[in-house]
Amino acid sequence: MFKDLNPILHSQLRLAVVSILISVKEADFTYLREKTDATAGNLSVQINKLKEVGYIDVSKSFKDNYPQTICKITPEGVKAFEEYVRDLQSYLNIKK
Amino acid sequence: MEQEKDLTSQESLELIAKMIRKAKRDYLDTGLSSLLWGSVIIICSLVAYINSYLNIPALNLVWFLTVVAVVPQIVIAIREGKKRGTRHYEEDQVGGIWIAFGITMFLFGFIFSRFPTYDGISALYLAVYGIPTFATGYARRFKPSIFGGLACWALAIYSLYCGYPNTMLCITGGALLAWFIPGLILRMRYLKAKQQHV
Repeated sequence: MFKDLNPILHSQLRLAVVSILISVKEADFTYLREKTDATAGNLSVQINKLKEVGYIDVSKSFKDNYPQTICKITPEGVKAFEEYVRDLQSYLNIKK
Repeated sequence: MEQEKDLTSQESLELIAKMIRKAKRDYLDTGLSSLLWGSVIIICSLVAYINSYLNIPALNLVWFLTVVAVVPQIVIAIREGKKRGTRHYEEDQVGGIWIAFGITMFLFGFIFSRFPTYDGISALYLAVYGIPTFATGYARRFKPSIFGGLACWALAIYSLYCGYPNTMLCITGGALLAWFIPGLILRMRYLKAKQQHV
């Protein structure tokens, strides 16, 4: 049905994560979980997938003795997101 | 968002728009810094105005409150930074403008301690108050700060014609319009949003 759409981004949770990261400079795991209403396990899996394809950078550190995971979109991620939106628009015949 | 489902292109676009809205709306200034600096400058300028009639030398030291206020400002900045789970793009730019403003204020303090009789001191201070205030309001689309910045510039011109100690009242007005009132509005918005999330 949507074979031409980027399969990595054409997933509800991954698309939600990338949409948030495109709007902010960086976001931590807790923030992403809160905004997407996802479980920690599922979000962790999807973040890893996005990291594997190079769409996001993930850095781990400690904040107040608790582990903190910071996610940031990469230039490849921005490019893929823009292409994905363009493809969606062409599906919907939205003309700029 | 636990169950993955096939998204239609319309649903995908709606999801993107929804998430972008959520992320943008999430940026909420606590208003504490604006309230702090608004209060400090209002107190200092009013004390300076009153002291122009009382002539108590010790009260001239009131402006050192601006140095002392740096400590709670640092505490506020650290606490707010810890609470936030995200960083927005404009934060670094706006932060840079305020740091440059702070340095300029301290330079002004040094410069005008050498030339204390210069007539346009208040006008220069007000003109510079307007820069970060207007820029912040413009970057965050926050009209009270835009208006506050414009008010500082108008008061800068007016202060050139009203003479000391009335220039101190111009500074009071600038701090009230640029920081205190926008700070109050931000604080009320922040507390309201916080209440809705509880």
